[in-house]
Amino acid sequence: MGKPGKNSSDDELQQGSSPQDTLGEALWYKDAVIYQLHVKAFFDANDDGLGDFPGLIEKLDYVRNLGVNTIWLLPFYPSPMKDDGYDVADYRNVHPQYGTRNDLRTLVREAHRLGLRVIAELVVNHTSDQHPWFQAARRAPAGSSKRDFYVWSDNDQKYGGTRIIFTDTETSNWTWDPVAKAYFWHRFFSHQPDLNFDNPKVLKAIIRVMRFWLDIGVDGFRLDAIPYLCEREGTSNENLPETHSVIRQIRAQVDSHYKNRLLLAEANQWPEDVREYFGDGDECHMAYHFPLMPRIYMAIAQEDRHPVVEIMQQTPEIPENCQWAIFLRNHDELTLEMVTSKERDYMYRMYAADPRARINLGIRRRLAPLMENDRERIKLMNSLLLSMPGSPIIYYGDEIGMGDNIFLGDRNGVRTPMQWSPDRNAGFSRADPQRLYLPPIMDPVYGYEAVNVEAQTRDHSSLLNWMRRMLAVRKGSKAFGRGRLSFLNPGNRKILAYLREYNDETILCVANLGRSAQPVELDLAQYRGRVPLEMMGRTPFPPIGELPYLLTLPACGFFWFRLTADVEVPHWHEERLAPEELPVLVLFDGWTSFFRDRVVPWRIRMAEKLRSQFETETVPRYMATQRWYAAKGVPIKRAHLSDWLLWEQGSSSWLMALLQVETAQAKSSYFLPITLSWGDSDDEHVRALAFATLARVRQQSQVGILADAFADEAFCRALVEMIARGGSMQCAHGKLHFTPTSALKDISVEALASMPFGRPKFQGSNTVVTFGECLFLKGYRHLRAGVNPEFEVGRFLTEVAHFPNCVPAAGALEYIAADGTPTSLAMLQGHVANQGDGWAYTMDYLERYFENQLAVTVDASEEVHGAYLSLVHTLGTRTAELHKALATDTGDPSFDPEPVAAGDLVKWKQRVHDDALATLALLEQCQSRLTGAALANALELLEQRQLLFAKIEACGMPAVPCFKTRYHGDYHLGQVLVSSNDFIIIDFEGEPTRSLAERRVKHSSLRDVAGMLRSFDYARWSAVMRDTYDKSDREKLEPFARGWVCEVRDMFLKAYDETMRKGDKYWSFAEVQGLVKLFEMEKVLYEVRYEIGNRPGWVNVPLQGLLTLCEAKPDAGTVSAMH
Amino acid sequence: MEKVDFLLEPLREFILQIAGFLPRLALALGVLIAGILLAKFARFAIIKGLRAINFNVLTERAGMEEFLSQGGIQTDTTGIFGLLIYWLVIMAALIIGFNSMGLTYITGLLGEVVRFVPKLVVAILILALGAYFARFVGNAVIAYCRKIAIQDADLLGKLSQYAIMTFVVLIALDQVNVGGDIVRQSFLIILAGIVFALALAFGLGGKDAAAELIDRWWPRRGKSDDE
Repeated sequence: MGKPGKNSSDDELQQGSSPQDTLGEALWYKDAVIYQLHVKAFFDANDDGLGDFPGLIEKLDYVRNLGVNTIWLLPFYPSPMKDDGYDVADYRNVHPQYGTRNDLRTLVREAHRLGLRVIAELVVNHTSDQHPWFQAARRAPAGSSKRDFYVWSDNDQKYGGTRIIFTDTETSNWTWDPVAKAYFWHRFFSHQPDLNFDNPKVLKAIIRVMRFWLDIGVDGFRLDAIPYLCEREGTSNENLPETHSVIRQIRAQVDSHYKNRLLLAEANQWPEDVREYFGDGDECHMAYHFPLMPRIYMAIAQEDRHPVVEIMQQTPEIPENCQWAIFLRNHDELTLEMVTSKERDYMYRMYAADPRARINLGIRRRLAPLMENDRERIKLMNSLLLSMPGSPIIYYGDEIGMGDNIFLGDRNGVRTPMQWSPDRNAGFSRADPQRLYLPPIMDPVYGYEAVNVEAQTRDHSSLLNWMRRMLAVRKGSKAFGRGRLSFLNPGNRKILAYLREYNDETILCVANLGRSAQPVELDLAQYRGRVPLEMMGRTPFPPIGELPYLLTLPACGFFWFRLTADVEVPHWHEERLAPEELPVLVLFDGWTSFFRDRVVPWRIRMAEKLRSQFETETVPRYMATQRWYAAKGVPIKRAHLSDWLLWEQGSSSWLMALLQVETAQAKSSYFLPITLSWGDSDDEHVRALAFATLARVRQQSQVGILADAFADEAFCRALVEMIARGGSMQCAHGKLHFTPTSALKDISVEALASMPFGRPKFQGSNTVVTFGECLFLKGYRHLRAGVNPEFEVGRFLTEVAHFPNCVPAAGALEYIAADGTPTSLAMLQGHVANQGDGWAYTMDYLERYFENQLAVTVDASEEVHGAYLSLVHTLGTRTAELHKALATDTGDPSFDPEPVAAGDLVKWKQRVHDDALATLALLEQCQSRLTGAALANALELLEQRQLLFAKIEACGMPAVPCFKTRYHGDYHLGQVLVSSNDFIIIDFEGEPTRSLAERRVKHSSLRDVAGMLRSFDYARWSAVMRDTYDKSDREKLEPFARGWVCEVRDMFLKAYDETMRKGDKYWSFAEVQGLVKLFEMEKVLYEVRYEIGNRPGWVNVPLQGLLTLCEAKPDAGTVSAMH
Repeated sequence: MEKVDFLLEPLREFILQIAGFLPRLALALGVLIAGILLAKFARFAIIKGLRAINFNVLTERAGMEEFLSQGGIQTDTTGIFGLLIYWLVIMAALIIGFNSMGLTYITGLLGEVVRFVPKLVVAILILALGAYFARFVGNAVIAYCRKIAIQDADLLGKLSQYAIMTFVVLIALDQVNVGGDIVRQSFLIILAGIVFALALAFGLGGKDAAAELIDRWWPRRGKSDDE
């Protein structure tokens, strides 16, 4: 088999430092996920055809990597093996074929080292008839203490009201013993005489046995067949008070001598009877919830949530320190004792049509065959198991979807060897196949060649890797183990929806029990405003609002959501204020009502009041909810209408409002065109504007709304038509200027009118609307005075340089202030179909890549990044082509390349030097705010300052002539759109923190190259630091991330160099290498300053980059980078 | 010598008179200059003041600006007010000036003109407010008639607007004492004419209906006899 976890030596040990965490906690079993396995069936280390302890020890890494934290060992005691070890012949030893007591000690020690606990089986109700106690008893005289170790009777009529459990094999609970000349009592097989707990010596002996194993280090016991310990005439001999008294004594013994040990009761009873086995928290810690299991199967079969909801509602509360144990399948049959006879018939029909699959009152099959090997249903079942209240038990082999063999006798069909690999004997043993204790499953569907650990470990989408992810997610939340359960009652009965709440954490589980896709509307009113975060992919869903929460689930689909209050709403979600909540403005004369000098004398006061309401309440309230409002969270004092134009066209009229927005700290300009639409809320137009409504308005009996005009189709069309026509309009103070470019000449007004209007869901700091697949109107909101490089450069690239890989500029709307200063209000561009930006593409790529690396433990092949690298090659080429286009000689002084003077180079270097001084000063000043690795790196940098200056000085200047040109200015992965395996370069606005005039200054275009190189570095950190990974994951991913970034950098530079060489303004990369490094330093120094000011948690990313650039420190690991 | 003295006496008198008159002339000129300055200030203040209270909006809404511009007048009503005040102040200054010079006849004449100006101001005010009111009523009638779905809503609106306007113009003319009886009588004649026209229209148009009504109220004996 493959070697899962073989590379997991010391580093993996630190995974959440779980051994100490779990082992030290008294209530550990509440968060336990138990892996049930049979030593015999797991792995054979000595090749005798039977699994053993050394084999299990070898496979502990596999168990740990699965994500469980407890192992439950089926009986491993010496036994004649007539009941798979449940007929114990010696309580204090280990079956010789499994190993020795020392092997068990080693196992316990190794398991503890890996953070796993070990639960052993304790068969207290009966022994084997080979047990020395029974042999002594049958020979001892009647009435003696030795004889009384077991229950004897002279006739087989005693305890007549007792049911027979193994109806298929036994006819009576009494069996005649010819040696003792008496009948002995047995609730199970006739070779398993029941111990007599009325004899105090029996209890003492059992307690001594328990202490023997607890001293070895076993963490707990599963108490087998516990309801049957004591017998009393005239009762059913189940759940007797005497039995509970025995359990209490056992518990008291355990508690008084040991810490953090567990007793798990096996009582196949109804929940209200099982409840008794918890006592007042003074009997067993855990007990099985038997009735839940068949009901989960029933719910799936009937496609109705009722069976599960009903049984969970009948389940009594249990003491605070107790826990249910839940399971889907185990080593016994799927018992149907806990269902009505009608339901049993139904279950037999559904799941055991073949009578051979039935045994006693149950079905002897594994999970996968029960689900007809339907992967989705298996996943659904597991999702229910892992999210229902209780600690789940996973039966060995079910994590890979193992099958069974119903042609083997008794319940051996589900006890076949674990399937490790497609090798001989399923990789379980190297013995001759005929020596195996049972043949492995070999059929074409479930056989070990199809289903095995090795193959599934490699396959990212395998059931095994899915289980690992599920268990990792479950581990992230205590609510699954400890939370309160409450069911939701959606109308669709095929949907099972419930909440798990623990402290302030709330988890919503929704499962579709149906075989087809189902919709559901959930009443989550009490969680209004919370953002459901899907736990598997950590995807935020739209926040819970006023309406029932609508979800659509695929066939057998399920969701786990954490209802979070602190997670950001998905960026594409639009907050829509309910119209009733909007303020009402009372107008008296349409738009004129807002202008005091445009109303009749006796309305002046009203106009002033209205204007004040508009500027201090209506607009600020609306702006605060908009994504484009830059100063998020800063309350707006007033939005002064600094200039305006009432633009009327036909029956529509719009207020082109330029707002001077005043907050406590600053003043800034915004553009907010507003439409006034008359009609009540049913009106189609008003409805279409509902999400962008500022206020409702009323004028006498007429009602309407004020809305953001960018949401108004008529306005956007009028704007584009006006741009296409060109010209200007006079405002109150300045004027609006409309400019088309040649790109718009080909589009006729009629064509424009026929283009469908669209509003992309994602709206960023600018507002965007589209016209078919043709035009893209971008409305600037936050305004800056000056020539906008985006339109200037876009127009140059479109009209002069004819660069194909940018978005063509089609026109612009500018505001010319009274003093002649231009300000861009809107820009019209050609629409380019794309698949999102390079950053998102890269993040997705890295996420997939990393998940593959985490899931697959075998070494990956060499050519892992092939497809991505070819995309990076294209990116390098396009970048070079852009720079060549921008360096075109045209005679336009704003664009013509200028030779770099020697003075420039000195100036650039000086500037980086100054930046370094400023950065170091800032670091010194902010040292106290840094922690961990960031602080260490900051100190190191401060210490090595001379090295930094030396490195800046050492950046070699090119000997060949260089040119200064216009360049992108803010070039990173977010500024390139992926479009059918090519890139479209967007956003020529330049670096947002600089003034517009500064952004237009020519410089070396290699700054863009440096920017992109830094962006790769950021992508690498961002991908590794995702919340889904824990520390050990990050340690594991670190070399992969580093390898990725190196390859990508090299490929990008190679492609850039290749293309640039073909021009006349560039010689070779070797010449400009020093400059690239200088600019990279400049960029990274800027990043340090930026992160200190804005995101202190990220400051170590550029610090690490800076140290690497200085070669002061090798590229350190990702984990140390953040903390 | 005495003869010469006697001969020079009128001259001296004349010179003395001139000497007496010159300071008064200077004073009058001073008053006039101050008056012009004051007038300019008053015009500025009145225009600013009127604009501050949006009087220009009122007259614009009343349709007066449109009317003025159609009549080729460059300025608006507020400007006219400014002009009137300007000249009022200048006239007042002139009156004081001439008065100080003892030119009572001119003073009297100017007094007449000055007394006329406030009337003109009031008349314009009446016109502005009246015209706004007329438009307001007209629009209200149109809105109401449209609401209760009467045909010819526009016609009725215009009719009421012009009816009010007619009254307003008459009041304004009355205020400035222009026309006097002629206006009053012609108004009566027009009103009587309209009433008579309406009476005729209703009378002729509703002759049959009226006959039927009368018939119902006072049934003719003959008919009742027939029954």
